[in-house]
Amino acid sequence: MKRGMLRSWWRLFVVQASWNYDRMAAVGTARALEPLLRDLPGGIDGARYQDAVRRSVGFFNSHPYLIGVAVGAIARAEHEGVPGQQIDRLKTALTSSLGSMGDRLIWAGALPCASGVGLALAATEPWWVGPAVFLLCYNALHLTLRTWALRAGWRAGAQVARALGAPFLRFGLRIAGPLAAVSVGFAIPLVADWLSTGVSPLLHGVTFGVTAVGVTIALWLAPTFGGLRYGLAMAVAALAAGRLWP
Amino acid sequence: MTPIQVVGLDLVSVGQIMISRPLVAATVGGLILGDPVSGATIGILLELFALEVLPVGASRYPDYGPASVAAAAVAASGDPLRHVGLAATAGLIVAYASEFTILELRRRNSQAVVRHMERLATGDAGVILAFHRAGLLRDLVRSFVLTGAGLGVAAVARTWPPMTSRGAALLDAMVVGAGLAAAVAGTLRAAGGYLALRWFAIALAVGIAVVVLR
Repeated sequence: MKRGMLRSWWRLFVVQASWNYDRMAAVGTARALEPLLRDLPGGIDGARYQDAVRRSVGFFNSHPYLIGVAVGAIARAEHEGVPGQQIDRLKTALTSSLGSMGDRLIWAGALPCASGVGLALAATEPWWVGPAVFLLCYNALHLTLRTWALRAGWRAGAQVARALGAPFLRFGLRIAGPLAAVSVGFAIPLVADWLSTGVSPLLHGVTFGVTAVGVTIALWLAPTFGGLRYGLAMAVAALAAGRLWP
Repeated sequence: MTPIQVVGLDLVSVGQIMISRPLVAATVGGLILGDPVSGATIGILLELFALEVLPVGASRYPDYGPASVAAAAVAASGDPLRHVGLAATAGLIVAYASEFTILELRRRNSQAVVRHMERLATGDAGVILAFHRAGLLRDLVRSFVLTGAGLGVAAVARTWPPMTSRGAALLDAMVVGAGLAAAVAGTLRAAGGYLALRWFAIALAVGIAVVVLR
């Protein structure tokens, strides 16, 4: 294993701590990259180290779990003496591809999928099972992905596009959305049943109506309104109606 | 400061191991307050709302971690009229406020970049470390303040407004309906496409069958 790899991997867990509109995740990425640059020729006082660190704080963004790909690839490229301009182009290319890949794979796939599993278990099993299984399932993938990302980036260097074409990633991207849909789709009736226990049939109708209207608004009428605002609007309406219906 | 008051750090800054998801944060909050079942129940409901959130890049999204802690504090009050609907409402209020705290945090981080642009450009690892730690500290303060404010909202919601059993039942039904709508719409939007819609419909039908046959 490359020297500094473990330290770099550890720093990836706080990579977004200084996220901002100006450089986005660049400073956190630079911080994670730095241990891998220490053994550049000349050490930490050498010109190559100084140049590499200076370059690393330029604009960069990515999905946090896949930033390791960029960190590993940039570190390898710096060690191989790839020209600075080419490294900057590599960062630009990785910004959009890693971001889009991570969003589809994790935020739109693995997270709702694990959440659906957790919800289904929480609604049917003892109280601790759902949250525990959710955390275990999700983080098994999360930690594997973070570790793979850093190692794959380091192995590939400037040829990192090869790593992003890995069969398991392509397969994951293909099934992420449908898996999330299956998981949440299966959980919703179980959760609705659990949350509606002891509720009168009349109020079941209210719940169904509010759900139908909410889905219609969210998908077709006002997609930007958001479930949070809809929930607050429904709560205010219910509190007002509750005062009139003592 | 208690561990639960820094739950908001998990959203962006530290780890992202999802301990800030409502299913986890509310259950742990309930456990700390001595009522894990109420915490888990409100966690399930708020998790439905959280399913709609895509925490993508610079977009604006709520922090359901502190919101879940606040909701669990109301749900664990032992008052059956505040168990679900009102607890979730308190959580949603905190979640709504949290969107602004995240925007403010990013704005302050950006101001710091502009202020220290020249020092960052020197490539000094010490400067990078200091800048990064300052960002982490800002988020720590944000999480601490937001969770504290959320517990304040929870303290109010434990006694106000006065609830009747009919009013509470109506509130429960409507908030649960809104949560289900958020989960359905969020999943369909995120998963996208006809294939995902078809799988969603099949899984929904299987889930309904399981509920009916249980």
